[in-house]
Amino acid sequence: MAGAPAEALRRVPLFADLDDDELTQVALLFKERNFTAGETVVKEGVEGAAFFLIESGEAKVTIRGTERASLGAGDHFGEIALIDEGVRSATIAAITDLVCYGLTLWEFRPLVIANGEIGWKLVQSVAKKLRTAELS
Amino acid sequence: MTELLPLAEVSDTSVFGAKAVGLGQALRDGLPVPPGFALSGPLVEAVAVDDEAAVDRVATAVRPLGGPLAVRSSAVDEDGADASFAGQHLTLLNVPSADELGKALREIWWSANSDSAISYRKRIGLFTRPTVAVVVQVLLDPECAGVMFTRNPINGVDERMIEASWGLGEAVVAGLVIPDSYCVARDGQVQERRPGLKRVAIRGLPGGGTVEYEVAPDLVEQLCLDDSRLEALNELARRCEEVYGPDRDIEWAVADDTLYLLQCRAVTKVGGA
Repeated sequence: MAGAPAEALRRVPLFADLDDDELTQVALLFKERNFTAGETVVKEGVEGAAFFLIESGEAKVTIRGTERASLGAGDHFGEIALIDEGVRSATIAAITDLVCYGLTLWEFRPLVIANGEIGWKLVQSVAKKLRTAELS
Repeated sequence: MTELLPLAEVSDTSVFGAKAVGLGQALRDGLPVPPGFALSGPLVEAVAVDDEAAVDRVATAVRPLGGPLAVRSSAVDEDGADASFAGQHLTLLNVPSADELGKALREIWWSANSDSAISYRKRIGLFTRPTVAVVVQVLLDPECAGVMFTRNPINGVDERMIEASWGLGEAVVAGLVIPDSYCVARDGQVQERRPGLKRVAIRGLPGGGTVEYEVAPDLVEQLCLDDSRLEALNELARRCEEVYGPDRDIEWAVADDTLYLLQCRAVTKVGGA
Protein backbone atom coordinates (compact mmCIF):
# COMPACT_ATOMS: atom_id res chain seq x y z
CA MET A 1 0.00 0.00 0.00
CA ALA A 2 1.42 3.37 -1.02
CA GLY A 3 1.49 6.42 1.22
CA ALA A 4 2.25 6.95 4.89
CA PRO A 5 0.85 4.79 7.72
CA ALA A 6 -2.40 6.45 8.83
CA GLU A 7 -1.92 5.48 12.48
CA ALA A 8 1.37 7.42 12.59
CA LEU A 9 -0.33 10.46 11.04
CA ARG A 10 -2.99 10.33 13.75
CA ARG A 11 -0.33 11.49 16.25
CA VAL A 12 0.35 14.66 14.23
CA PRO A 13 -1.68 17.48 15.84
CA LEU A 14 -2.55 19.00 12.46
CA PHE A 15 -4.29 15.77 11.43
CA ALA A 16 -5.50 14.59 14.84
CA ASP A 17 -9.15 15.58 14.35
CA LEU A 18 -9.59 13.92 10.95
CA ASP A 19 -11.78 10.81 10.81
CA ASP A 20 -10.44 7.53 9.42
CA ASP A 21 -11.55 8.16 5.83
CA GLU A 22 -10.13 11.67 5.79
CA LEU A 23 -6.88 10.49 7.31
CA THR A 24 -6.58 7.74 4.69
CA GLN A 25 -7.03 10.32 1.93
CA VAL A 26 -4.21 12.40 3.39
CA ALA A 27 -2.00 9.36 4.03
CA LEU A 28 -2.23 8.26 0.38
CA LEU A 29 -0.71 11.54 -0.76
CA PHE A 30 2.58 10.89 1.03
CA LYS A 31 5.68 9.66 -0.81
CA GLU A 32 8.65 7.95 0.72
CA ARG A 33 11.84 9.99 0.79
CA ASN A 34 15.21 8.66 1.85
CA PHE A 35 18.14 10.66 3.18
CA THR A 36 21.65 9.36 3.80
CA ALA A 37 23.50 9.88 7.10
CA GLY A 38 24.90 13.42 7.23
CA GLU A 39 22.51 14.79 4.60
CA THR A 40 20.63 18.02 5.28
CA VAL A 41 16.90 17.33 5.26
CA VAL A 42 15.69 20.92 5.57
CA LYS A 43 17.71 24.10 6.01
CA GLU A 44 16.96 26.99 8.33
CA GLY A 45 15.88 30.11 6.45
CA VAL A 46 14.99 28.30 3.21
CA GLU A 47 11.37 28.33 2.07
CA GLY A 48 9.71 25.02 2.80
CA ALA A 49 7.11 23.21 0.78
CA ALA A 50 6.78 19.82 2.43
CA PHE A 51 5.88 18.12 5.69
CA PHE A 52 7.83 15.04 6.80
CA LEU A 53 7.06 12.12 9.07
CA ILE A 54 10.05 9.99 10.11
CA GLU A 55 9.58 6.26 9.51
CA SER A 56 13.02 5.19 10.72
CA GLY A 57 16.42 6.64 11.56
CA GLU A 58 17.61 9.59 13.60
CA ALA A 59 18.00 13.29 12.84
CA LYS A 60 19.23 16.33 14.74
CA VAL A 61 17.65 19.76 14.92
CA THR A 62 19.86 22.85 15.02
CA ILE A 63 18.91 26.51 15.22
CA ARG A 64 21.54 29.09 14.32
CA GLY A 65 24.19 26.39 14.67
CA THR A 66 23.14 25.21 18.15
CA GLU A 67 21.83 21.67 18.50
CA ARG A 68 18.35 21.79 20.05
CA ALA A 69 16.81 18.34 19.76
CA SER A 70 16.98 14.96 18.14
CA LEU A 71 14.22 13.29 16.16
CA GLY A 72 13.42 9.63 15.55
CA ALA A 73 10.75 7.28 14.25
CA GLY A 74 7.25 8.78 14.55
CA ASP A 75 8.51 12.38 14.87
CA HIS A 76 7.46 14.93 12.29
CA PHE A 77 8.29 18.43 11.12
CA GLY A 78 7.19 21.08 8.63
CA GLU A 79 3.41 20.99 8.98
CA ILE A 80 3.06 24.78 8.90
CA ALA A 81 5.04 24.92 5.64
CA LEU A 82 2.20 22.89 4.15
CA ILE A 83 -0.05 25.88 4.65
CA ASP A 84 2.08 29.03 4.46
CA GLU A 85 5.22 27.96 2.50
CA GLY A 86 7.18 29.98 5.06
CA VAL A 87 10.87 29.62 5.77
CA ARG A 88 12.18 26.70 7.80
CA SER A 89 12.80 27.70 11.42
CA ALA A 90 15.53 25.10 11.97
CA THR A 91 18.00 22.94 10.14
CA ILE A 92 17.36 19.20 10.32
CA ALA A 93 20.14 16.81 9.33
CA ALA A 94 20.12 13.03 9.17
CA ILE A 95 22.36 11.42 11.82
CA THR A 96 21.74 7.94 10.43
CA ASP A 97 20.16 6.92 7.15
CA LEU A 98 16.66 8.30 7.37
CA VAL A 99 13.43 7.06 5.85
CA CYS A 100 10.66 9.66 5.82
CA TYR A 101 7.23 10.08 4.32
CA GLY A 102 6.81 13.48 2.76
CA LEU A 103 3.77 15.48 1.69
CA THR A 104 4.13 18.58 -0.48
CA LEU A 105 1.96 21.63 -0.60
CA TRP A 106 1.15 20.79 -4.22
CA GLU A 107 -0.61 17.59 -3.20
CA PHE A 108 -2.12 18.80 0.04
CA ARG A 109 -3.76 22.01 -1.17
CA PRO A 110 -6.08 20.45 -3.81
CA LEU A 111 -7.34 17.92 -1.24
CA VAL A 112 -8.13 20.66 1.27
CA ILE A 113 -9.76 22.87 -1.36
CA ALA A 114 -11.92 19.99 -2.58
CA ASN A 115 -12.90 18.84 0.89
CA GLY A 116 -14.31 21.57 3.13
CA GLU A 117 -14.68 19.21 6.08
CA ILE A 118 -10.96 18.46 6.12
CA GLY A 119 -10.22 22.17 5.63
CA TRP A 120 -12.38 23.16 8.59
CA LYS A 121 -10.73 20.62 10.87
CA LEU A 122 -7.32 21.92 9.85
CA VAL A 123 -8.39 25.49 10.63
CA GLN A 124 -9.53 24.31 14.07
CA SER A 125 -6.21 22.54 14.57
CA VAL A 126 -4.22 25.67 13.69
CA ALA A 127 -6.49 27.75 15.96
CA LYS A 128 -5.78 25.36 18.85
CA LYS A 129 -2.08 25.71 18.21
CA LEU A 130 -2.38 29.53 18.23
CA ARG A 131 -4.33 29.49 21.47
CA THR A 132 -1.76 27.20 23.09
CA ALA A 133 1.03 29.51 21.91
CA GLU A 134 -0.79 32.56 23.39
CA LEU A 135 -1.17 30.85 26.74
CA SER A 136 2.42 29.66 27.00
CA MET B 1 -2.14 9.89 -23.49
CA THR B 2 1.07 7.98 -24.18
CA GLU B 3 3.18 8.11 -21.06
CA LEU B 4 6.12 5.92 -21.99
CA LEU B 5 7.87 5.92 -25.37
CA PRO B 6 11.16 4.82 -26.89
CA LEU B 7 13.31 7.95 -27.15
CA ALA B 8 13.22 7.91 -30.96
CA GLU B 9 9.42 8.43 -30.86
CA VAL B 10 9.40 11.32 -28.38
CA SER B 11 8.35 14.69 -29.78
CA ASP B 12 6.01 16.40 -27.29
CA THR B 13 7.81 18.73 -24.86
CA SER B 14 4.63 19.34 -22.87
CA VAL B 15 4.59 15.63 -21.95
CA PHE B 16 8.23 14.55 -21.90
CA GLY B 17 10.22 17.79 -21.43
CA ALA B 18 12.85 19.41 -23.60
CA LYS B 19 15.69 17.03 -22.78
CA ALA B 20 13.76 13.92 -23.85
CA VAL B 21 12.47 15.58 -27.01
CA GLY B 22 15.97 16.83 -27.87
CA LEU B 23 17.36 13.31 -27.61
CA GLY B 24 14.43 11.91 -29.61
CA GLN B 25 15.08 14.44 -32.35
CA ALA B 26 18.77 13.49 -32.33
CA LEU B 27 17.96 9.79 -32.79
CA ARG B 28 15.53 10.53 -35.62
CA ASP B 29 18.28 12.52 -37.33
CA GLY B 30 20.76 9.70 -37.02
CA LEU B 31 22.91 11.15 -34.24
CA PRO B 32 24.68 8.59 -32.01
CA VAL B 33 22.55 8.69 -28.85
CA PRO B 34 22.51 5.72 -26.41
CA PRO B 35 19.13 3.93 -26.60
CA GLY B 36 16.48 4.63 -24.00
CA PHE B 37 12.93 5.55 -23.05
CA ALA B 38 11.11 8.68 -21.94
CA LEU B 39 8.58 8.63 -19.09
CA SER B 40 5.95 11.36 -18.69
CA GLY B 41 5.64 13.42 -15.50
CA PRO B 42 2.40 11.73 -14.37
CA LEU B 43 3.96 8.28 -14.87
CA VAL B 44 7.04 9.31 -12.85
CA GLU B 45 4.72 10.55 -10.11
CA ALA B 46 2.71 7.30 -10.15
CA VAL B 47 5.91 5.31 -9.71
CA ALA B 48 7.06 7.70 -6.99
CA VAL B 49 3.89 6.99 -5.03
CA ASP B 50 4.48 3.22 -5.47
CA ASP B 51 1.54 2.60 -7.75
CA GLU B 52 2.07 -1.10 -8.49
CA ALA B 53 0.72 -1.03 -12.05
CA ALA B 54 2.94 1.94 -12.95
CA VAL B 55 6.03 0.35 -11.38
CA ASP B 56 5.42 -2.91 -13.32
CA ARG B 57 4.73 -1.09 -16.55
CA VAL B 58 7.97 0.88 -16.39
CA ALA B 59 10.07 -2.12 -15.36
CA THR B 60 8.61 -4.28 -18.15
CA ALA B 61 9.20 -1.65 -20.83
CA VAL B 62 12.73 -0.73 -19.73
CA ARG B 63 14.01 -4.26 -18.91
CA PRO B 64 15.12 -5.01 -22.53
CA LEU B 65 17.68 -2.19 -22.22
CA GLY B 66 19.53 -4.30 -19.64
CA GLY B 67 21.70 -2.35 -17.26
CA PRO B 68 23.22 -0.35 -15.83
CA LEU B 69 21.04 2.67 -16.56
CA ALA B 70 21.36 6.44 -16.49
CA VAL B 71 18.21 8.14 -15.21
CA ARG B 72 17.98 11.84 -16.02
CA SER B 73 15.26 14.36 -15.23
CA SER B 74 13.61 16.23 -18.10
CA ALA B 75 11.71 19.19 -16.67
CA VAL B 76 8.27 19.92 -18.09
CA ASP B 77 7.23 23.52 -17.64
CA GLU B 78 5.40 26.37 -19.20
CA ASP B 79 8.24 27.27 -21.54
CA GLY B 80 9.37 23.68 -22.01
CA ALA B 81 12.94 24.73 -21.23
CA ASP B 82 14.76 22.61 -18.70
CA ALA B 83 18.18 24.22 -19.02
CA SER B 84 17.26 26.70 -16.28
CA PHE B 85 16.75 23.81 -13.87
CA ALA B 86 20.30 22.55 -14.25
CA GLY B 87 21.59 21.69 -10.81
CA GLN B 88 18.10 21.52 -9.31
CA HIS B 89 16.81 18.31 -10.82
CA LEU B 90 18.67 15.12 -10.24
CA THR B 91 20.49 12.76 -12.57
CA LEU B 92 21.16 9.27 -11.25
CA LEU B 93 23.92 7.32 -12.90
CA ASN B 94 24.39 3.57 -12.71
CA VAL B 95 20.99 2.37 -11.59
CA PRO B 96 21.73 -1.38 -11.81
CA SER B 97 18.58 -2.52 -13.63
CA ALA B 98 14.97 -1.74 -14.52
CA ASP B 99 13.84 -3.37 -11.29
CA GLU B 100 15.58 -0.65 -9.26
CA LEU B 101 13.95 2.21 -11.14
CA GLY B 102 11.22 2.84 -8.54
CA LYS B 103 13.63 4.25 -5.96
CA ALA B 104 15.48 6.26 -8.62
CA LEU B 105 12.30 7.83 -9.98
CA ARG B 106 11.16 8.70 -6.44
CA GLU B 107 14.46 10.48 -5.79
CA ILE B 108 14.15 12.42 -9.02
CA TRP B 109 10.55 13.36 -8.22
CA TRP B 110 11.69 14.68 -4.84
CA SER B 111 14.56 16.62 -6.44
CA ALA B 112 11.94 18.65 -8.31
CA ASN B 113 9.87 19.07 -5.14
CA SER B 114 12.64 19.83 -2.65
CA ASP B 115 12.73 23.05 -0.65
CA SER B 116 15.62 24.38 -2.75
CA ALA B 117 13.88 23.52 -6.05
CA ILE B 118 10.65 25.17 -4.93
CA SER B 119 12.50 28.30 -3.75
CA TYR B 120 14.36 28.40 -7.06
CA ARG B 121 11.10 28.11 -9.01
CA LYS B 122 9.63 31.03 -7.09
CA ARG B 123 12.74 33.14 -7.74
CA ILE B 124 12.35 32.65 -11.49
CA GLY B 125 8.61 33.37 -11.32
CA LEU B 126 7.20 29.83 -11.53
CA PHE B 127 4.45 29.28 -8.99
CA THR B 128 2.92 26.18 -10.55
CA ARG B 129 3.26 22.59 -9.48
CA PRO B 130 6.55 21.10 -10.75
CA THR B 131 6.31 18.27 -13.25
CA VAL B 132 9.36 16.22 -14.00
CA ALA B 133 9.56 13.72 -16.83
CA VAL B 134 12.47 11.31 -17.01
CA VAL B 135 14.83 9.87 -19.59
CA VAL B 136 16.14 6.34 -18.92
CA GLN B 137 19.12 5.32 -21.05
CA VAL B 138 21.79 2.66 -21.12
CA LEU B 139 24.70 3.96 -19.05
CA LEU B 140 27.92 3.93 -21.04
CA ASP B 141 31.22 2.90 -19.51
CA PRO B 142 33.24 5.58 -21.28
CA GLU B 143 36.95 5.64 -21.73
CA CYS B 144 36.70 9.44 -21.79
CA ALA B 145 33.97 12.05 -21.90
CA GLY B 146 33.40 15.76 -21.69
CA VAL B 147 31.72 18.83 -23.07
CA MET B 148 31.95 20.78 -26.32
CA PHE B 149 30.76 24.23 -27.38
CA THR B 150 30.23 24.47 -31.12
CA ARG B 151 31.19 28.15 -30.90
CA ASN B 152 33.54 29.79 -28.40
CA PRO B 153 31.11 30.94 -25.66
CA ILE B 154 33.54 33.52 -24.25
CA ASN B 155 34.49 35.58 -27.29
CA GLY B 156 32.00 34.29 -29.88
CA VAL B 157 34.75 33.12 -32.27
CA ASP B 158 33.60 30.41 -34.68
CA GLU B 159 35.64 27.52 -33.24
CA ARG B 160 34.87 24.36 -31.28
CA MET B 161 35.88 24.47 -27.63
CA ILE B 162 36.28 20.97 -26.20
CA GLU B 163 37.02 19.75 -22.68
CA ALA B 164 37.75 16.09 -21.94
CA SER B 165 38.65 13.81 -19.06
CA TRP B 166 38.82 10.08 -18.29
CA GLY B 167 35.71 8.07 -17.34
CA LEU B 168 32.24 9.55 -16.97
CA GLY B 169 31.77 13.19 -17.97
CA GLU B 170 30.49 14.11 -14.51
CA ALA B 171 34.14 14.63 -13.46
CA VAL B 172 34.27 17.55 -15.92
CA VAL B 173 30.77 18.88 -15.23
CA ALA B 174 31.32 18.78 -11.44
CA GLY B 175 34.74 20.45 -11.73
CA LEU B 176 36.64 17.57 -10.10
CA VAL B 177 39.49 17.80 -12.61
CA ILE B 178 41.30 20.27 -14.77
CA PRO B 179 40.23 18.73 -18.08
CA ASP B 180 42.19 18.64 -21.30
CA SER B 181 41.16 21.56 -23.45
CA TYR B 182 41.11 21.70 -27.22
CA CYS B 183 40.28 24.33 -29.77
CA VAL B 184 39.33 23.10 -33.24
CA ALA B 185 38.54 25.30 -36.24
CA ARG B 186 35.35 24.62 -38.15
CA ASP B 187 37.43 23.13 -40.99
CA GLY B 188 38.83 20.57 -38.55
CA GLN B 189 42.25 22.10 -38.02
CA VAL B 190 43.34 21.62 -34.39
CA GLN B 191 44.42 25.05 -33.18
CA GLU B 192 45.23 24.21 -29.60
CA ARG B 193 45.47 21.15 -27.35
CA ARG B 194 46.35 21.61 -23.71
CA PRO B 195 46.66 18.61 -21.36
CA GLY B 196 44.77 18.95 -18.10
CA LEU B 197 45.45 17.57 -14.64
CA LYS B 198 43.06 14.65 -14.38
CA ARG B 199 43.92 13.07 -11.07
CA VAL B 200 40.49 11.49 -10.54
CA ALA B 201 37.77 9.93 -12.67
CA ILE B 202 34.24 8.71 -12.00
CA ARG B 203 33.00 5.27 -12.93
CA GLY B 204 30.00 3.06 -12.10
CA LEU B 205 30.10 0.59 -9.23
CA PRO B 206 28.95 -2.99 -9.81
CA GLY B 207 26.08 -2.69 -7.29
CA GLY B 208 24.92 0.75 -8.45
CA GLY B 209 25.97 4.33 -7.86
CA THR B 210 29.30 5.82 -8.86
CA VAL B 211 32.74 6.13 -7.35
CA GLU B 212 35.55 8.62 -7.71
CA TYR B 213 38.90 6.86 -8.20
CA GLU B 214 42.51 7.89 -8.71
CA VAL B 215 43.71 7.93 -12.28
CA ALA B 216 46.95 6.03 -13.08
CA PRO B 217 49.89 8.49 -12.84
CA ASP B 218 50.84 8.19 -16.52
CA LEU B 219 47.31 9.19 -17.58
CA VAL B 220 46.98 12.28 -15.38
CA GLU B 221 48.50 14.61 -17.95
CA GLN B 222 48.03 12.44 -21.03
CA LEU B 223 45.63 13.84 -23.63
CA CYS B 224 42.34 11.90 -23.89
CA LEU B 225 41.69 12.83 -27.51
CA ASP B 226 43.81 12.14 -30.59
CA ASP B 227 43.30 13.64 -34.06
CA SER B 228 40.73 11.06 -35.16
CA ARG B 229 38.57 11.65 -32.08
CA LEU B 230 38.82 15.41 -32.49
CA GLU B 231 37.75 14.97 -36.11
CA ALA B 232 34.77 12.88 -34.97
CA LEU B 233 33.84 15.56 -32.41
CA ASN B 234 34.05 18.28 -35.05
CA GLU B 235 31.74 16.23 -37.26
CA LEU B 236 29.37 15.71 -34.32
CA ALA B 237 29.34 19.49 -33.74
CA ARG B 238 28.53 20.06 -37.41
CA ARG B 239 25.68 17.52 -37.34
CA CYS B 240 24.26 18.93 -34.10
CA GLU B 241 24.22 22.45 -35.58
CA GLU B 242 22.53 21.06 -38.67
CA VAL B 243 19.83 19.37 -36.59
CA TYR B 244 19.31 21.85 -33.75
CA GLY B 245 20.71 25.14 -35.03
CA PRO B 246 23.88 27.11 -34.21
CA ASP B 247 25.71 27.60 -30.90
CA ARG B 248 25.28 24.28 -29.09
CA ASP B 249 26.51 23.06 -25.71
CA ILE B 250 27.15 19.33 -26.09
CA GLU B 251 27.89 16.54 -23.62
CA TRP B 252 29.61 13.57 -25.25
CA ALA B 253 31.37 10.32 -24.37
CA VAL B 254 33.62 7.80 -26.09
CA ALA B 255 32.88 4.16 -25.24
CA ASP B 256 34.09 1.07 -27.13
CA ASP B 257 35.74 3.43 -29.59
CA THR B 258 32.40 4.98 -30.52
CA LEU B 259 31.53 8.64 -29.98
CA TYR B 260 28.12 9.21 -28.34
CA LEU B 261 26.00 12.31 -27.91
CA LEU B 262 24.60 12.52 -24.36
CA GLN B 263 23.00 15.95 -24.40
CA CYS B 264 22.75 18.95 -26.71
CA ARG B 265 21.51 22.32 -25.46
CA ALA B 266 21.51 25.83 -26.80
CA VAL B 267 24.36 27.93 -25.42
CA THR B 268 22.60 30.37 -23.14
CA LYS B 269 24.96 33.26 -23.91
CA VAL B 270 27.64 33.68 -26.52
CA GLY B 271 30.07 36.51 -25.92
CA GLY B 272 31.93 38.69 -28.39
CA ALA B 273 30.47 40.69 -31.24
